[in-house]
Amino acid sequence: MDIIKTENLCYDYILRDDDGKIIEQSAALRNVSLSVPEGQFLAVLGHNGCGKSTLAKHFNAILTPTSGKVTVDRIDTADEDRLFDIRQTVGMVFQNPDNQLVATIVEEDVAFAPENLGVPPEEIRVRVDDALKQVDMYEFREHAPHQLSGGQKQRIAIAGIIAMQPRCIVMDEPTAMLDPKGRREVMKTIKRLNREKGITVILITHYMDEAAQADRVVVMDKGSVLMDDVPRKIFARADELRSVGLDVPQVTELCGMLRKCGVSISEEIIFEDECAAAIEMLPLKSRTADMAKTVAAKIVDIGEEAARLENLTYKYSIGTPFEKTAVDNVNLTVKKAEFVGIIGHTGSGKSTLIQHLNGLVKPTSGLVFIDGKDIWGKDANIRDIRFKVGIVFQYSEHQLFEETVAKDIAYGPKNMGLSGDELDARVKSAAESMGISHLLEKSPFELSGGQQRRVALAGVLAMDPKVLILDEPAAGLDPKGRDTILSLIKRYHEQSGKTVLLVSHSMEDIVKFATKVLVMNKGKVFCYDETDKVFERTDELVAIGLDVPQITRLSHRLREKGIDIGNDIYTTDRAAQRLLSLIKGQDK
Amino acid sequence: MIKDITIGQYFPGKSVIHRMDSRVKLLLDILYLVILFTSQTFTGLLVGILFMVICYLLSQIKLIMILKSIKPILPLMLFTGILNLLFITGEEPLFKWWIISIYPEGIRTTLFMLLRILALIVGMSLLTYTTSPIMLTDAIERLLSPLKKVRFPVHELSMMMTIALRFIPTLIEETDKIMSAQKARGAELDTGGLMKKAKSLVPVLIPLFVSAFKRANELATAMECRCYHGGEGRTRMRQLKTAPRDYAAIVIMLILFAGVIVLNCIPIIP
Repeated sequence: MDIIKTENLCYDYILRDDDGKIIEQSAALRNVSLSVPEGQFLAVLGHNGCGKSTLAKHFNAILTPTSGKVTVDRIDTADEDRLFDIRQTVGMVFQNPDNQLVATIVEEDVAFAPENLGVPPEEIRVRVDDALKQVDMYEFREHAPHQLSGGQKQRIAIAGIIAMQPRCIVMDEPTAMLDPKGRREVMKTIKRLNREKGITVILITHYMDEAAQADRVVVMDKGSVLMDDVPRKIFARADELRSVGLDVPQVTELCGMLRKCGVSISEEIIFEDECAAAIEMLPLKSRTADMAKTVAAKIVDIGEEAARLENLTYKYSIGTPFEKTAVDNVNLTVKKAEFVGIIGHTGSGKSTLIQHLNGLVKPTSGLVFIDGKDIWGKDANIRDIRFKVGIVFQYSEHQLFEETVAKDIAYGPKNMGLSGDELDARVKSAAESMGISHLLEKSPFELSGGQQRRVALAGVLAMDPKVLILDEPAAGLDPKGRDTILSLIKRYHEQSGKTVLLVSHSMEDIVKFATKVLVMNKGKVFCYDETDKVFERTDELVAIGLDVPQITRLSHRLREKGIDIGNDIYTTDRAAQRLLSLIKGQDK
Repeated sequence: MIKDITIGQYFPGKSVIHRMDSRVKLLLDILYLVILFTSQTFTGLLVGILFMVICYLLSQIKLIMILKSIKPILPLMLFTGILNLLFITGEEPLFKWWIISIYPEGIRTTLFMLLRILALIVGMSLLTYTTSPIMLTDAIERLLSPLKKVRFPVHELSMMMTIALRFIPTLIEETDKIMSAQKARGAELDTGGLMKKAKSLVPVLIPLFVSAFKRANELATAMECRCYHGGEGRTRMRQLKTAPRDYAAIVIMLILFAGVIVLNCIPIIP
């Protein structure tokens, strides 16, 4: 039976003036006809602005169609008398966990929906305890939401929906703002609810590996359904997906590359296990690959140092029972023009570390040198250091405040005392390098999320810092947005020759650009070396709980099967090249 | 850093004091204030404090927490204390130097006042230490519920309080982040005159408001998804029920009240 059914659903966003006249009308959904059988795990993919969130809001009558029909368990969502029946049947979880929690105590929050529905108190108690157990958060029932991690908060939000005992849960990018650990927790919860409780799940996501785990994938573009199939059939259409700003899992990409070289391997591979099995079945001439590296990493060794940390230690809440060492005796030298990637999980001290570099945080002990000068020394001016070392924070779009993009970008250089032509030139060149020259006269608040982030980046670039530090610049963006911003950063690094430090949870992003990688763990430097050398130690990285690329996991699976393609696999290019050297009939 | 400020100082526990009906607790705390202001004797105040110390022991809140709650208003206590000491006059000055003269009456009043403030804080803190903010708002909502008859939006008020309490830590954290981001762009947030300071706050306040509105919007949608439709027909998971311990507490408090009044009437007691 279909739990949700849409027939020729159209929805227009209509902007009216004060007199109720229509100023603007744009079609967000066009003729969407979709039915979701009960118990299915459906993933919805699509770039930002393709209409997938608008569609989701129709599933529990937050929006009602401009034309067409949506039914939930055979109830028309336009029937206002049945509103609470609809919303009880189809629950909804959103992206930002903070903005969904109402109460100051976890269990009170979970009780919110049943309380609204007038459920008797004894039953609410039972439902709340049950919901919390299902998301594995029962022992946190008396905590305050702000004491929890992102992944935990999102699980509370899910529990709050489960307490309504819905038959379907719609999730709008529930993992977009979470770190890898939080993502894993939430995905595990979602899958368990679907498999064990039979709850229908509709998951909107930008992560291809999450979509791969679904029973069915719907791809949306420009307000209509572009593809609708099982995941492996969808990802087999890699080129089509890329043309609408999406991506495929790394192993699917790898198999595509191999097939292009004439290797007969299925195009419907999406998990590393099945990929390893398929490779094992290929006619192999040897089980150890030729380890030659074609892409020799370009090591820029100019020798001059840009930043140096000496015995740096930072402690929080000194003298209280909550005292914690965030950064523990770190020694580090970053040379000029280097591109350093910084990884480590939440709480590893990487954010605190970067804030030392421009003096936002003063070390408890130890020294910070920028350009050879002690930034806390007697003759140093901390404000000058901030202009020399630019930091772009996570979700940097939240710092925009001016009327126009140009004015916002000019804020930093103006604080430096620049004005007139020089200021204009700075703004223009910064906007140029972030590809937003055409937006200068717009208000930053009318731009898309990805554009806003580029404005924020340009605002820091306009100060022309010698060292640029970026904290998760691609977080929460769709695949195309990620690619755009990361390649702009790469271009900036190549053209300007500046030192760039990139903090990210995503090793995929880091390995694409970084010449050196710093791995932080528990406030200490776990290792700091050339990218290749760091990734030779992937086993250790996995052991400290970091998330390695899918392609790296594939190389581990292969090794378990006795096929060695090296322990420095982190790009599909290299994996493909190594594999080709193993396969018979691939001697060029 | 701003986030070091603690808000909502509730310490979860299972003691008798914790388990008391929050309505009763709130009302008795108000009665305790009345008692303090009725008492005209040092003995009365000391009895009051002693009583609270016993309550602290019962609630298993560490006595050191009393000191912690006094700390923020210590300057105020000192200030009013010194004023009282200097400006209350009596018959025979105890001490005279230049234009300063201190009278025994001044010392007595000052000590009495300080003791009263101390007793007051100790009592008020116990309420917030042992009652979660949500139970407090709950208590207020229910105590005010008769006002619904005169169309006073009691439920809406308590919902607003709950949401405010929920979002204060979130917004503090956010302010901290925005300040760091603007400082990294060379903002000078803590230097210059008043005008300059106010002006330099614009880059912090605008993003904060933008984000607060966005949060409000998203929260409203999330609440709608969870079938929120005002206070009508709403039930509560946590039922407030009075138990024998609450009646016992009321009786004890009334005895204390009577005791303090009696103390007032006995002339020889200081």
